[in-house]
Amino acid sequence: MNLFTQSVISGLMTGAVYTFLGIGLVLVYRTARILNLAHGETFAITGVAAALLAGAGLPLGAALGLAILISLAFATGLHRFVLRPRAEWPAGTLILITLGAAFVVRGVLILLAGTDPLSFPVMFEGPPVRFAGGAMPLQGIALVVLGFGVSAGVGIFLAATRAGKQLLAAAENPYAAELLGVNVERARITAYAIGGLLGALAGVLLIPLIAVDFQSGLAMTLRGFIAAAISGMSPVGVLFSGLGLGLFEAMVGAYLGALYQDPVMFCVLILVALWQSRNIRFGGSRRA
Amino acid sequence: MRKFALARPAALAAAAVLLAPAATPAAAQEVWRIGEVAPLSGPAATVGTRLNKVTKMWVEEANAKGGIAGRKIELTTCNDENKPEKAVACARDMIEKGAVIIFGNALTASLRAIQPLVKSGPILLIPSPNVVPGADTYGFQVSPSDVDITEAIAEFLKANKIDKIGMVAATDASGEVGVASARKVFGDEKIELRLARIDLRATDASTQLARVAGSDIKVVYSSYTGGGAITVVKSFKNLGLAQPLIVSYGNISDAFVQLVKDVKPPRLLGTGVAGIVPEIVKDPGDRARSQAFLEAYAKRYAERPDMINLLGKAAVDVAEAILKTPNPKDYPAVKTFLESTPIPSVHTQRFSAKSHVGLDASSVIIVELKGETWVKADPVK
Repeated sequence: MNLFTQSVISGLMTGAVYTFLGIGLVLVYRTARILNLAHGETFAITGVAAALLAGAGLPLGAALGLAILISLAFATGLHRFVLRPRAEWPAGTLILITLGAAFVVRGVLILLAGTDPLSFPVMFEGPPVRFAGGAMPLQGIALVVLGFGVSAGVGIFLAATRAGKQLLAAAENPYAAELLGVNVERARITAYAIGGLLGALAGVLLIPLIAVDFQSGLAMTLRGFIAAAISGMSPVGVLFSGLGLGLFEAMVGAYLGALYQDPVMFCVLILVALWQSRNIRFGGSRRA
Repeated sequence: MRKFALARPAALAAAAVLLAPAATPAAAQEVWRIGEVAPLSGPAATVGTRLNKVTKMWVEEANAKGGIAGRKIELTTCNDENKPEKAVACARDMIEKGAVIIFGNALTASLRAIQPLVKSGPILLIPSPNVVPGADTYGFQVSPSDVDITEAIAEFLKANKIDKIGMVAATDASGEVGVASARKVFGDEKIELRLARIDLRATDASTQLARVAGSDIKVVYSSYTGGGAITVVKSFKNLGLAQPLIVSYGNISDAFVQLVKDVKPPRLLGTGVAGIVPEIVKDPGDRARSQAFLEAYAKRYAERPDMINLLGKAAVDVAEAILKTPNPKDYPAVKTFLESTPIPSVHTQRFSAKSHVGLDASSVIIVELKGETWVKADPVK
């Protein structure tokens, strides 16, 4: 087995997860100016719901579909019933509310599913694809293709389509956007829905390769946040930061050891943050 | 003055009448205060809740029989969330409230944090193999130590003429203990150890397995427990590795089996105390007690008990033996009693003045998952 090839494969899969979760966070931030700390809960809700429904005898496809719908309901419900009525509150308070929502989800999941990890079968069965001394499961290929593909699609949608630009305008200046005919509320709920869908898709594709439990959500939010922060909250940049982080993490784990992963990763995060802040320090006006 | 002299006996008698009925129920209400520090939420909740189930079962059964030595048990369970600072707060509170025994049903870091608090009692019972209490302390470990478990693996390898092993260990405190044991035991036994560490947040273990599971490695050992262990098993399967994979004792459970039964490697082995497969326990008393516990637990909770439940049972058996001593609050006397008296349990606990570890490597077996049942492992070809 070739360690380098396997590290690249592992890095691609990990990078797809970073990207999937990062793009959802960026999307909500760029349209509603809120860092949604409950974003990773869409991953956990989908995983736990799918595992419970499939375990109760529902066909896998139906269980996954229903789980995605539950996740979407949570993401849009969080905006519609929790954040929107408090839209005038300071952003910091709203962020704390999303953190509170994440803990509520944790509590509900522990009540429904207990503390043991859960999982469900893969959608793409078959022997792993072998090349250059490495092996990649079919589900992993789906994760990488869809992870980067869907995220690229969202990036292009935001940057190159009228609807996408309306979403971004809703965040930059909601009052001006409204005067120009943009339905700000619809733009925001669309952003939460897409974000929820991306988190749910990440769960559907990744969880069969690992396991999920009640506390997986915040860990996933953290992953998404690191990718999003390194990209400067850029919908296109998060594709590259997610890929880079995944590969970097796998290579550090393979050649330096997992004990170095966190220190190296957070050093990189600090350096990138310093690099990005240079514009602010030296009078630049670029804004995420 | 005379009036006062007459009134005083009457007042004393009245006071005696008033106080007497109050004193009798107070004596009757004397209870054994028992503390339990366990992670009921957070990353180690799967361990804490399993141990807690056994503790609760014991308390309910003992109280239903009228208590122990005439006193009912009052159990206080404190959720440390696998955070050492919370574990310390829990243990302090229990000691202040007069807990006579504390179940340290927590993980490595929390147990290390609360150990210094029981320097002069109460008795701390530890089901975790990762924390070995000193023989000069009031801590007693009711499981084999991690070194014992690793020695059992080394014995298994030697019996199968294997001189190399690959190992995946987490980067947390439990992983550190596993690595230290592996380096010592495999080093002493001249077994080559190929080691890779894995971060607790990892979503893929294929890089680690690629490092340690070369074609010259005949067995791979994962000391991981919980969700991370499942990631290792699934990555193992995805890489198409053919070697037997040994998982840690914490995974010998129904929940784990349900998650890996469709994705398990060709041979999935595990470490465990022999009581999990009662048929192979040599001592008839131990075998009968193991069997009885497995049946009682399955009846009570409608699920098969696992390794962690079994270690919890060992802890409550030792606690019951302590409560039956003449004065369980005389901690030096209890310490001497435990050091000199074998305690019957699912495996008879034998502490000594030199070691507060109740079991040794002879109680550990290597099991193998066949169908959905753990049985004694077949040899490795």
